[in-house]
Amino acid sequence: MAKNTNSNSYILIYSTVMVVLVAALLSVVSLSLQSRQYANELNEKKQMILGSLSAQDQNYDEFINAYTIDKEGNKLEGEDVFNLLKDLKTAFEEGKFPVFEAKDGRLVLPLTGTGLWGPIWGYVSINEDMNTIGGIIMDHKGETPGLGAEIATAKYQAKFIGKEIFNGDEFVSIKLRKGGASKDNLIHEVDAITGGTKTSDGVTAMLHDSMEHYLPLLNARRQAKVAAQQPAETPAAENVSNEEKVENHE
Amino acid sequence: MFSAKNMKYLTGPFSANNPVIVQILGICSALAVTVQLKPAIVMGLSVMVVTAFSNLVMSLLRNGIPSRIRIIVQLVVIAALVIVVDQILKAFVYEVSKQLSVYVGLIITNCIVMGRVEAFALGNKPWPAFLDGIGNGLGYGMILVIVAFFRELFGSGSLFGFRIIPESWYLAEGGFYSNCGLMLFPPMALIIVGCIIWIHRSINKDLQEK
Repeated sequence: MAKNTNSNSYILIYSTVMVVLVAALLSVVSLSLQSRQYANELNEKKQMILGSLSAQDQNYDEFINAYTIDKEGNKLEGEDVFNLLKDLKTAFEEGKFPVFEAKDGRLVLPLTGTGLWGPIWGYVSINEDMNTIGGIIMDHKGETPGLGAEIATAKYQAKFIGKEIFNGDEFVSIKLRKGGASKDNLIHEVDAITGGTKTSDGVTAMLHDSMEHYLPLLNARRQAKVAAQQPAETPAAENVSNEEKVENHE
Repeated sequence: MFSAKNMKYLTGPFSANNPVIVQILGICSALAVTVQLKPAIVMGLSVMVVTAFSNLVMSLLRNGIPSRIRIIVQLVVIAALVIVVDQILKAFVYEVSKQLSVYVGLIITNCIVMGRVEAFALGNKPWPAFLDGIGNGLGYGMILVIVAFFRELFGSGSLFGFRIIPESWYLAEGGFYSNCGLMLFPPMALIIVGCIIWIHRSINKDLQEK
């Protein structure tokens, strides 16, 4: 045992062996747990999407039809929506916009933005009229607990239900107003969080900027709806073909 | 295995030699993860696993380690263990790992872990070193749980996420009560830790500095 543990060659060999062993151990752990971790993340996203529709009891794969559109609202083929969700900001910049369409005609749009301390994200569901918010789920990386972090609570998210994102034909999104939603604009506004003004502003910006990308799709659906309500025959046929397109995709 | 001497390594850090309130180590993470009880418990357990196994590994290696790169070897072992813990949390308790976010990774920098390796594991046999690691991890976790109990109860009115203070007490519902917002911020954790130290020292007079 009388070897010199402080000679240079011993130290070199020791550290090399140690680093290689540790690297091997960590790779094994990482590889063996990877599929489980990915499944967790995927499941969380699916639950958030169903949560925004208040349809947690539904089976995601049966209930949701996910696809990607470009900035004109046309469908893009061959995109993995969950892959895009991993880095939604980049996807938006590249002009790829994931959409989740429920069987009953409601749409779920992914949201991404910045709060006070870090990223915030979420999913908003829009009812068949393509105007009313059906539900919203939001989460955050590190907003202040009790203040900005309130955006992740069901109680706060419930305030968004029934709000409208269009004023006539103009897209106004939903605004979180400091000091409480103003009475004459109640349908487009939500109370901001007391003490969480920066986070609230972040949510306002997130809602506006994210949903804006989907305007072509929303407007097309709205027009189809208006046309369908009128007794004229041709636009109604167009509406049917639109629905067929969705069915075919499934 | 569980002789009186060995048990002392295990239980010493609970009170007389507690890493947080006597040695004042690991304060930073005690402030960061104690807003709610559940993350505090998981954090305490994670630190316990890391202290126990880093002590064990370092004690096994203690005769072969070149003393000149001793600190680097300690860091590599601790960092590897922390990464393993982080990966396991992500795979099995995903929700909690999200709440703890960066703080699991920051166990690497927790003074308790390296302090115990340097002060104890390098000079003792593996089994006592392992017990010492468990003891220190538990001593740390204990303080975390006490702090988190007060912070969650008075800051959010709940424990483990279950509502304790009834909704009807709150001002918004026409009551008289409101949560203490300061409880949610790290400074209040420091004040609670200070109060625990105060009470602890007034009971254990021999710990008082002259």
